[in-house]
Amino acid sequence: MRELLQDLVDAASGHASYADARHVLARVEDVALRNGELDLLDRREEEGIGVRVRVKGAWGFAAARGSGRAAGEDALARALALAEAQPAAGGERALTLEAPASGSHAGPCEVDPFEVSLDRKLELLAQADAALRREPLVSVARAQVSSRSEEKTFASSDGALYEQRVVECGGGLAAIAVDESGAQVRSYPGSHSGHIAQAGWEHVVELDLAGNAPRVAAEAAALLSAPVCPSDRTTLVLAGEQLGLQLHESVGHALELDRVLGGEASYAGTSFVPADGVGVMRFGSEHMNVTADATLLGALGSFRWDDEGVEAQAVPLVGEGVLRGFLSSRESAAEIGLNRSAGCMRAEGFARQPIVRMTNVSLDPGAAGTLDELIAATQRGIYMETNRSWSIDSRRLHFQFAGEAAWEISDGRLGRMLRDPVYAGTTPRFWGGLDAVCSPSEWALASVTNCGKGEPGQLASVSHGSAPARFRDVLVGSG
Amino acid sequence: MRAQAPREVAARAREAAGDEHALATVTRERSLALRFARSRPTQSTSVDDLTVEVAVVRDGHVGRAATNDVGPDALRRCADAAVRAAETAAGQAGPGSYPGFPEPAGLRAHHGHDPETARLDPARGGEALLAAFELAAETGTEANGLWTAGEVETAIATPSGPVLVDRVTDAHLKAVAFGPGRRSGYAARTAVSLRDIDARAVAAAAAAKATDASSEPLDLEPGEYTVVMEPHAVHDLLWVLGQAAFNGLAHSEGRGALAGRLHTRVVSATINLSDSPRYASTLPRAFDAEGVPKAPLPLIQDGVAHRVVHDVRSGAAAGASSTGHAQAAGGPAPGPSPNNLVMAGGGAADEGELCAGVERGIYVTRLWYTNVVRPEESLFTAVTRDGTFLIEDGRVTRPIADMRVTDSALDVLSRVQALGARSVLTSDGELYGRRFASGSVCPPLRAAAVRFTGSAASG
Repeated sequence: MRELLQDLVDAASGHASYADARHVLARVEDVALRNGELDLLDRREEEGIGVRVRVKGAWGFAAARGSGRAAGEDALARALALAEAQPAAGGERALTLEAPASGSHAGPCEVDPFEVSLDRKLELLAQADAALRREPLVSVARAQVSSRSEEKTFASSDGALYEQRVVECGGGLAAIAVDESGAQVRSYPGSHSGHIAQAGWEHVVELDLAGNAPRVAAEAAALLSAPVCPSDRTTLVLAGEQLGLQLHESVGHALELDRVLGGEASYAGTSFVPADGVGVMRFGSEHMNVTADATLLGALGSFRWDDEGVEAQAVPLVGEGVLRGFLSSRESAAEIGLNRSAGCMRAEGFARQPIVRMTNVSLDPGAAGTLDELIAATQRGIYMETNRSWSIDSRRLHFQFAGEAAWEISDGRLGRMLRDPVYAGTTPRFWGGLDAVCSPSEWALASVTNCGKGEPGQLASVSHGSAPARFRDVLVGSG
Repeated sequence: MRAQAPREVAARAREAAGDEHALATVTRERSLALRFARSRPTQSTSVDDLTVEVAVVRDGHVGRAATNDVGPDALRRCADAAVRAAETAAGQAGPGSYPGFPEPAGLRAHHGHDPETARLDPARGGEALLAAFELAAETGTEANGLWTAGEVETAIATPSGPVLVDRVTDAHLKAVAFGPGRRSGYAARTAVSLRDIDARAVAAAAAAKATDASSEPLDLEPGEYTVVMEPHAVHDLLWVLGQAAFNGLAHSEGRGALAGRLHTRVVSATINLSDSPRYASTLPRAFDAEGVPKAPLPLIQDGVAHRVVHDVRSGAAAGASSTGHAQAAGGPAPGPSPNNLVMAGGGAADEGELCAGVERGIYVTRLWYTNVVRPEESLFTAVTRDGTFLIEDGRVTRPIADMRVTDSALDVLSRVQALGARSVLTSDGELYGRRFASGSVCPPLRAAAVRFTGSAASG
């Protein structure tokens, strides 16, 4: 495969100023039980070659299934034709100069999930599913495990040539309780496919789905009779998945340099952050330190090289509340005068071109102790868990999130459970209200597996690390 | 490379399963997508791929496997994996509730395929981009957007032998123009045929919004406002209903927005909504993912909700038949949904006439990041985008900062005061996974007391 890909980029060199070629073999398995029945048992394999060329400043990308020379040559011919058919781009923008990627890499995986028997997976799910359904008010119980592997070979006309393999695995469960008051859901460990990590089957075992099922079911049932979250401007404590999604939507996407420069204006949107804001723009309070780290062990946005051959990095995005950097590609980084790409170009499978994608955008831990200690230090407010709904404007400024459940904080203690919690705000003001982040012992990863961007659409997976954090003066209510 | 005919591949995959309870689906996509931003081309993608999926039923459980390799060994492995999955599930979980794949029924022809579009000539895309760039230069705006066209052929080899085949094309152009002050305007057109998309006209419509918006946008206080929505925004309301109200699985489990409300008035009596897969100007389909023929299905008539949509699984749970709305063979969660919603228009000539009756309100071109908050209430939240204006004394007067709307889709449609006469096909052009272009046909509307809960400018 190395030889074929090198041949393709060599063949492109007579026509294109740059070319890269990528072969991807991907395997996916999703297994889910729903109310004791098989809900999903999908096994998918796909293999193909994607070729990207740049002709007079215009990019062309084409993909063909298979691994043969004919498939690669077909993709190359179509990529060239597509690039050449576009109107003149008005000059070719520079790409940053990068050391050519070279070598092989494999992500962490102790137990290959594709070697674990289907019987074992169904047995584990059946235990969790049954435990959820012991709660009489639960009308829908669902438990899922997912496994994914991707083997990639990459070559570019700049001399990059690498192979890398990653395995992702995880799972989760959800209970929906229904009565005359409506429907309430609780999920574990998160609401978006549970928790997926760059790991093997050992990660699923560690999640202990069955052990957590009784609590999840009981909370779903309790939400039916819980009071509605009152509307107020108050203190909000976030943790886990919801804080991860807050980082994802309001920080990660806002700092993707293609958006900042207007390249995504017609779909994903732009950004309220200016391209010249590094070092001067205040993004949040002095407690806000955010890093995009593509080297984080076990995180979904980790790799050794990105999809244009740039080595993975840890990039400071926000330091003590001030903008420190962007998520970039070779082209976008060069456009604002940076010497290096942040290494954020990733593509879904073989049939999509690489685009700027956030890596693992995480909030650095603070010194506020444990979650219990943070609650104890909070006179009054709301503690909210697990994402239920999300929406943010096209500049990543005004957002609204709904959680599955919330609890009152009163005199430093968690009080009543509250249903239908929602909070809303604008990004800099919200992060400006951050006044405490828990300590490193509380820091953990949450996963997002359904991040959509690009045209045609691509889904990406990424992790976000955080410790529970407290935000002052937030608009909270029930939608 | 020699093209593999989906019909033949589907038959071979079904044969590889060697199973009277197997269904094999082959989907071949050929597509082009050209993106542009800041009046220059940015990304372009050409896809030629094919997916084979084999689904097998055992004791009410469905196992599925998929590959994009059409070689005999790969098809055998794929079929074996599906059989093994279904048998393992049946052995572990006891009898399941899936009643089996339906027998093939007669299909109706449609006009959803255009040979000229199917040629996928990259030059046609280049011409569309050039037209958009020229218009932008003439109007002093900046052109951003997407031109895309595709052909998708789907073949389903049914358990009893017949192979169903459907071929469709789609074309989509959207333009987002940025004018003075960085205000943006949006326009889009979707059709079966490229010939029906006038790139210059689409770009001009977007530019007109951006250049009309030359004054500083007003930051409007949250509250309830009378709203005039273009079809693009109405499309999002219908999407919410598709997810929250018409999903037969959620409905049968008592968590849908129409639970306990069928055969009652749920929206304004002016609202008539159906799923009409062969309606003029829609993107037609012959059958759903389980091979059930597509047929017109009235959903709301004169404001009264009549039915929800089903796949085989949700239909069995509800004691009903599939209505041809499966999203995947075997109908897993999240359940069925309508793909060809058509909302009947009313008497207003255009958006201008809809504005005429508004003393002070908001004009919404499109909604963005629409998401369901509480499905049982059809409560959604979204943000306006690319053309939000203040309406004063019956006409659009000035741009306003984008605003967040959080309201119930059914309630908004209950407060409809007037509908435009012209329904148009609207699509967001989002094409994730294997290409499945869809859209809804809807008119512009005016609705009272729509709840805006925040401003993108001030929170």
